[in-house]
Amino acid sequence: MSGDRKPASLAEALSLLAGAPEAPLLLAGGTDVYPARAVAEAWGRYAPRPVLDLSGLGLAGIEDRGDHHRIGAGVTWAALRDAPLPPWFDGLRQAARQVGGVQVQARGTVLGNLCNASPAADGVPPLLTLEAEVELASRRGTRRLPLGAFILGNRRTALAPDEIATAILVPKPAGETRSAFLKLGARSYLVISIAMVAGLLEIDSGRIAAARLAIGACSPVAQRLPELEAALIGARPEEAAALAAPEHLAPLSPIDDVRATAEYRRHAALVLLRRLLAGLAAPQAQGGSQAA
Amino acid sequence: MSLPITLTINGAEHRIALDDPRVTLLDLLRERLDLPGTKKGCDRGQCGACTILLDGRRVNSCLALAISHDGAEITTIEGLSQGEELHPLQAAFVAHDAFQCGFCTPGQIMSALGLIQEGQAGTDPERVREGMSGNLCRCGAYRGITEAVVEAQEKLGQAGRKEAA
Repeated sequence: MSGDRKPASLAEALSLLAGAPEAPLLLAGGTDVYPARAVAEAWGRYAPRPVLDLSGLGLAGIEDRGDHHRIGAGVTWAALRDAPLPPWFDGLRQAARQVGGVQVQARGTVLGNLCNASPAADGVPPLLTLEAEVELASRRGTRRLPLGAFILGNRRTALAPDEIATAILVPKPAGETRSAFLKLGARSYLVISIAMVAGLLEIDSGRIAAARLAIGACSPVAQRLPELEAALIGARPEEAAALAAPEHLAPLSPIDDVRATAEYRRHAALVLLRRLLAGLAAPQAQGGSQAA
Repeated sequence: MSLPITLTINGAEHRIALDDPRVTLLDLLRERLDLPGTKKGCDRGQCGACTILLDGRRVNSCLALAISHDGAEITTIEGLSQGEELHPLQAAFVAHDAFQCGFCTPGQIMSALGLIQEGQAGTDPERVREGMSGNLCRCGAYRGITEAVVEAQEKLGQAGRKEAA
């Protein structure tokens, strides 16, 4: 029946994991784990698996480490949403306000959202624009992977069977930064994204010095838009929205499903992208933020 | 196998011997502790009917294993009224017809209590709607719910400030 464990330290968790006869399910906030189990039970497909509950590890801090911020594995969406953080986190915090509802935000973790690797994970596009890395620990040691290399596909990550993801590492961008996130769903909350867009601009002397843009829920893994990012360099922020064109969405491969058609997703992604860039050009009017 | 945990529920300490580590707080409350006021709607974190306060934060009790919360303090809908006297939130829900079938109401009220205690929303209806967005009402009583929460916020906000002072 059991085999469920709740280790009190990372070292204990890693040794339990290394010695586990059957790969356990790693449990953090549980907001993806329980619904998946409830669906499996309802359809008679539930195969019990031992649970390794990580909530006792005490990895719930957001720390400024000089050249980067470290978001521990236990940090919930609510903790991130309510934390005083610099403006490059605005997009991620806007995503935090729109994940599920407030109760889900209180339990679900940001890193768990990445490990669950849903194509519609709201945390992925903002963290791609932040060039975040994921820290993975095992008894063999610790390694870091860029987020784009960590998520391999729909519900697939590079996490090895003996590893636990312990933190998200977010480097500090240089100079003035603006960031934002927009999500389209059938309603405002408690909804899975049809499409979402995250963007971060570095501004120097009134011109875009660097742009990072990512779109989610329109491909198995959220995608950056390198051609548009390159095209925006040197432009004024207020010119950016008009520079976004359909061909910039080439990295996307949206599908038809219960929430929207592929064609609608492609259209919505471009509208959201232009709206986000227009908002970043007028941060006060849009309620965004400005200089670091 | 018996797994002992201790929970403080509505002010009373319960020593519980869990017979299964997979029991959620929701099932523990409803099926084993005779506290069925917390409702099971979707059992997958989508509807908010099972909202309780867990160490002061509102959570979906269907998304929490009992065994993970040894030592926690829990408030459920059964803990709000004082005898026959309704909690101001309960009274406001009655006054504003903030329900039709009533199934989502315990979760709505617990979520509203959490929202008021968080002190973020104030009496701005749009902020209240955002703050209550984790609770669905399929009868569509949202208008009454928002009015009730705003009214209770006004009453409890004043009381809270007095207590804090």
